Amino acid sequence: MQNEIKEFSYHISWRSRGRHSGRHLSTQRGMGMEFRGHTSLLSYPDPRRIDIRQTIRDPLEQVHVRMFNQKSASPVFAIADLSGSMNFGAKQSKVALTSEIASTIAVSARKNSDPFGFIGFDDVVREDWICPPSFRAHQALELCAALNKFEPAQVSGAGLKDVSRFLPRERSLIFLISDFHMPMEELKNGLSSLMQHHVVPIVLWDSSEYKNLPEFGITSVIDCETGQKRTLFLRKEMRANIVASFEARRAEIEALFMSFDMAAFFLEGVFDADALTEYFHQFVAA
Amino acid sequence: MNILIFFNSPWALWLLPLAILPLVLDRAFTQRYSWVAMLPKDKLSDLIGLLMKVLAVLALLLIFLGLASPHSKQQIIEKIGVGAQIALVLDRSASMDDPFSGGEINGKVGETKSVAASRLITQFVKSRQNDMIGMTTFSNSGMYVLPLTENREAILAAVQATAGNALFQTNIGSGMTSGAGLFDKVPDSGSRAMILLSDGGGRIDAETQQKIHDWLDRLHIGLYWIVLRQPGGLSIFDTSYVPPEDAVLPTQIELNEFFKTLNSPYHAYEAEDPKSLAAAIADINQKEKKPIRYHEQIPGYDFSQACFLLAALMIGLLLGVKYLEVRTWD
Repeated sequence: MQNEIKEFSYHISWRSRGRHSGRHLSTQRGMGMEFRGHTSLLSYPDPRRIDIRQTIRDPLEQVHVRMFNQKSASPVFAIADLSGSMNFGAKQSKVALTSEIASTIAVSARKNSDPFGFIGFDDVVREDWICPPSFRAHQALELCAALNKFEPAQVSGAGLKDVSRFLPRERSLIFLISDFHMPMEELKNGLSSLMQHHVVPIVLWDSSEYKNLPEFGITSVIDCETGQKRTLFLRKEMRANIVASFEARRAEIEALFMSFDMAAFFLEGVFDADALTEYFHQFVAA
Repeated sequence: MNILIFFNSPWALWLLPLAILPLVLDRAFTQRYSWVAMLPKDKLSDLIGLLMKVLAVLALLLIFLGLASPHSKQQIIEKIGVGAQIALVLDRSASMDDPFSGGEINGKVGETKSVAASRLITQFVKSRQNDMIGMTTFSNSGMYVLPLTENREAILAAVQATAGNALFQTNIGSGMTSGAGLFDKVPDSGSRAMILLSDGGGRIDAETQQKIHDWLDRLHIGLYWIVLRQPGGLSIFDTSYVPPEDAVLPTQIELNEFFKTLNSPYHAYEAEDPKSLAAAIADINQKEKKPIRYHEQIPGYDFSQACFLLAALMIGLLLGVKYLEVRTWD
């Protein structure tokens, strides 16, 4: 099953502070390729790294040793919104799509030798949907498989603000997977609490939410989170209004993400791992 | 005029609270939607949503109201017409089944007296649309047939029913008292008549005579007597008739003398054949034309049909909405 999961490549724009060796630039000195500077043999007693040329040139006849930065691992997290609205979806519910994306991230992180963790939240952080960061992806992949069949209850997504308590102090790469159908203020507070990390918002919208509405007819809808009921008389004018309302919302949240310097990754219906690779090339400095 | 509503089965009103069910329960086909707050406000949609609830509630209300079968009370309206209140007192004795001897009308020979009487009275009834007519017959005693009524069909049916087999006695007194009884407890229209149709006389004892005298007087009833006479028989108008000695007067003359003593208006006719009978009835028809007041009963109106119809209309509208309903979201 894991072989079927397509990977994407990602990189981070900051130096990792992790000691565990990995693929990212690091501040940790060690057995890397990146030259960091010289020091004396006494302070860095590694005779293998004695720089003969520098030692000869030194009039004080100190023995110099070259120091290198190792490549380190950096934690990667998938934070998934499990609120009621994620139950929506025409072909595939958003939760199932979330599970697909999260397992892709897990496999990609394993390939990059990064620890991967998973955190699910609805109106609280769901401790039964938490997988602590690990270099072994099995547990996370099992969780993702279970998530595929999960049906969110009728709850809001207010738990976002508490997610940061479950994250390491170390700067991590965070994929925040949600439809972001939450009040602006709540979203703003949530993002503020995650500012210390590099957040990639993955916005899951479904085209049947606004573009592929039925052409004409009367229907009554019930909100997945609040249970609010409304009758809709769908017609050309109404559909145009709905699409306009969603476009306005898209502009609004895009502006909010940009104010936090988190470029959003919009997704409609199908997830393509290559698009995520493309995203990193486009938005994240190497 | 205030219309009061009455219910035939008020227990059904206990079901009325059930009408709020559509407000409490969800609709069966409700689509889940991720974020309803994102949907723009739409007045038409809100209106339709409200309308559907209201229609459902009203349909249920009307059905329950219809089950309780509401109706207005029957009303009595006073009408003024030209005509009279007429009691027909018909002789059903066996002699009425004899033909008028030599009677020849419409080429029929030997039409019996009762058939001729019923035929002519049928015409008479048909020609008087505003009359209230009641009927009694008599042979060995008075037989109550029909109270005073405006219902043409009932009157005509009652007249038709008189032509049949009969008994052999003639008890005029009983027929007249039961005929006068028809007027009892009926509002006086100002024009009341009793038409007594018989083929001869009968003796009335003194007590009954007194009763007839009192009743006709008290109830203001005029009397018309049509005597069907055998051709060549004794005429009641024959003043020259002298009975044989130590024999009583013939019954019809005796009866005529008694009727003359009444305080109320009295007129006698003699008919020897259908033609003269028709003439007598035409004469009565002429005389009894005064404006009368009478009360007409208007039955209470039953609203349950209207309730069910309206409910059906609303259910029809709801079905229309159902037809427009989106079943497949995608």
